[in-house]
Amino acid sequence: MLSVIRLAWRNVGRNPRRTGVVVTAVAVGLAGTLLSMAIFSGMMFQMVDNAIKTDLGHLQIHAQGFNKDPEIGLFLEDKGAPEIEAIQAEAGIQNWAPRIRGEGLVTSPSSSVGVRVIGVDPDAEAQVSMVSGSIVQGGYFDQKRRLVLGEGLARRLGTEVGDKIVLSVQDLEGDMNGTALRVGGIFRTPSAELDRSTVFLELAPAADLFGMGDSISEIVIVGHSRDAVLETQARLSAALPDREIERWDELQPLLASILSVMDQMASGLYLIIFVAMSFGIANVLLMAIYERIREIGILLAVGLSRGRLVAMVICESILVTLLGLVAGFTLALLALFALSDGIDMSLWAESLASFGMGTRIFPVLTPADFTIPTTVALLTALIASAWPALRAVRLRPAEAVRHD
Amino acid sequence: MSLEWRLAWRNVWRNPRRTGLTVSATVFAVALLVLMSALSTGMWEKIIDDSVSMGSGHVTLTGPNYLEERTLEQYTYLDAPLATRLGENPAIAGYAPRVNAFGLLSDADVTRGVMVIGVDPELEKSVSSLPDRIKSGRFLEKGKNREVVLGGRLAEILGVKIGDQVLLYSVAYSLESAYDLFSVAGIMHLPDPALDRGLALISLADAQAFFVYGNRISEVAIRVREADHSASLAEQLGSSLDPEKIEAHPWPEVMPDLAQTVVIDKLGMYLMLAILVIVVAFGIFNTILMAVLERKREFGVVLALGLRPRAIFRIVYLESILLAGVGLTLGLLVAIPLVLYLQANPIPITNSEEMAAAFEMVGTDPVIYAKLIANNPILSALTILLVALLAALYPAIRASQGKPVDVLRSL
Repeated sequence: MLSVIRLAWRNVGRNPRRTGVVVTAVAVGLAGTLLSMAIFSGMMFQMVDNAIKTDLGHLQIHAQGFNKDPEIGLFLEDKGAPEIEAIQAEAGIQNWAPRIRGEGLVTSPSSSVGVRVIGVDPDAEAQVSMVSGSIVQGGYFDQKRRLVLGEGLARRLGTEVGDKIVLSVQDLEGDMNGTALRVGGIFRTPSAELDRSTVFLELAPAADLFGMGDSISEIVIVGHSRDAVLETQARLSAALPDREIERWDELQPLLASILSVMDQMASGLYLIIFVAMSFGIANVLLMAIYERIREIGILLAVGLSRGRLVAMVICESILVTLLGLVAGFTLALLALFALSDGIDMSLWAESLASFGMGTRIFPVLTPADFTIPTTVALLTALIASAWPALRAVRLRPAEAVRHD
Repeated sequence: MSLEWRLAWRNVWRNPRRTGLTVSATVFAVALLVLMSALSTGMWEKIIDDSVSMGSGHVTLTGPNYLEERTLEQYTYLDAPLATRLGENPAIAGYAPRVNAFGLLSDADVTRGVMVIGVDPELEKSVSSLPDRIKSGRFLEKGKNREVVLGGRLAEILGVKIGDQVLLYSVAYSLESAYDLFSVAGIMHLPDPALDRGLALISLADAQAFFVYGNRISEVAIRVREADHSASLAEQLGSSLDPEKIEAHPWPEVMPDLAQTVVIDKLGMYLMLAILVIVVAFGIFNTILMAVLERKREFGVVLALGLRPRAIFRIVYLESILLAGVGLTLGLLVAIPLVLYLQANPIPITNSEEMAAAFEMVGTDPVIYAKLIANNPILSALTILLVALLAALYPAIRASQGKPVDVLRSL
């Protein structure tokens, strides 16, 4: 067997032209496949990342029942002290921020709009959401008793930075409660929904408004990565049995479903790319072996056994394919490195230019993404070389030598 | 020239195996390209279709500034001549007038803020998927007054069932308080949790009476027969309407988030298509190159017989063009029926309960759709033709470069 491998290896080196063509076919096919997968995963990743960075976070802690019916009466007492203690015991948590979350009505001189009212600790919030970095007018809580709202909402209300608006809500007791505040800043995020329907104010005035005292509605947590928070979630749930600890995909089941639907669609597209790749490889290998039928005939004539001949041909194909795989991985990694700043989609679509980071796709490849294309390529090489080799050795040497 | 054509044509058929492999590379390239673009077109058409049928249609007619402010102050009218025009327009599959407002809905001691939509029970069915989302009871009916249809979670929170009465409270257009009792006729199951706990439908006539709105409406949702025609229909309607009173918006203006996602995704898809083109281009290039290189001896012989290198170049290039032509034709013959078949018989995805639930949640069916638009096979074929013409260049040059002596000696 060892001699077969040595023979095969020599053959690979003996015909650099043929080896070159096969290696290119495998390398380009594989690199293309990997790049497509990376771009698609990157798109999905970006979608989730936008949602997580906008205001969702990786995890949220609530009182039981809040996720089903987000009501101001379901709160965490004492500024969430026991929850914060549990959070601080966790190594996997990067940042967290307390929030008060309720509903209210904003009235400007020209109209009134129903909104989500979110009370935040400005510094902590800046660590978990992109709102602080998305201010397009005014400032982010740089003055007292200001509120920050989305561009879409500002347009609906016809207000600008510095204008006074009235925010009225139903407080914990069920009484209507109102306060006048000035607009301190206007933000624009990739989520038009958020921009159209949310006002942020500081935690203290929000607590006064809702009559919450020391209580808060939720704690938003950002961990190191989406996978890492799974364990964090499990440990927090164990530490805080009477609290709801929800992951982003549980908080936004619609988003999670869209992702799995897109994933399913992607498998159809991957299939097409795999077919394209294996076809390119198979075609070249078939041709490379057919053109050697004469050589095979000579080897048969000088007495090489049929089994060893087939083994040699297959061995050669696998060796060349392996070379192609190495070249393909290198090519793909180089391309990914070149694209590590992301592909800016707004270059091609002017309509996206105003959305900032949300329109940049960062190709993502996980080690698992390498396994399927590699297996497909090797299997293709095996089949595409075994089949013609088996046919060729069945010819009589005299015929094979005459073969064109 | 005609001799070269004849030689090329004969060469093509002289080695059926080689020809078969080269042609199949082109067939596959065209077929895969057509299939991939049809699948991505189909996927987006489906997602847009599902979204507009939960929302405000492919094209939405509204009063001026409605999209910016979305309050009762921005209204329009659907008068009889306009209704007739919409009904007679062959591009329109259905239209439905609506009143969109906010209100508080309560049952005994629980109160929730909800989005109240007044709909025409009959016309709504031709536009939206809401009437199909009833999980218990029935949808609104013409002639029945003061009935309401609720989202599933909203009904749960309020603790009401079919036949119960709920109190709707709001501020009318006249700025007076408005309140009335409605009886629950049906309960919907809506995939979006925010809608499921915050949507109440009443009849258009009730809404106009409740909000003291007269004949005013918030919007007319229009469903088109061909999704591609949304923008042109909006433009056509917009130019014939009085912009002081009524505006026509295609769905991307009404749902900018979805439009943004679609644009990003389409661009991503073009990138993937470009990569696919590169992969198949190399497939074609490698195959032609190999087919030409294995004929070194043959070229050496004809060179020795006195054929000029330039003639060899032309013959080999002609062969490649012939092969590409055959491959393109066969590719389209394979791909177009396949895509048309998939368009008529979408591939069901039935691998898990979980998946089915995910599709349900998004409000779409667990199937993979393909959709053929005329541009797509034409563009695919042209791309592959260009690729083949470029790919054949180098092998043809190589073929014409050998010296007869070297070539003959090397074998």
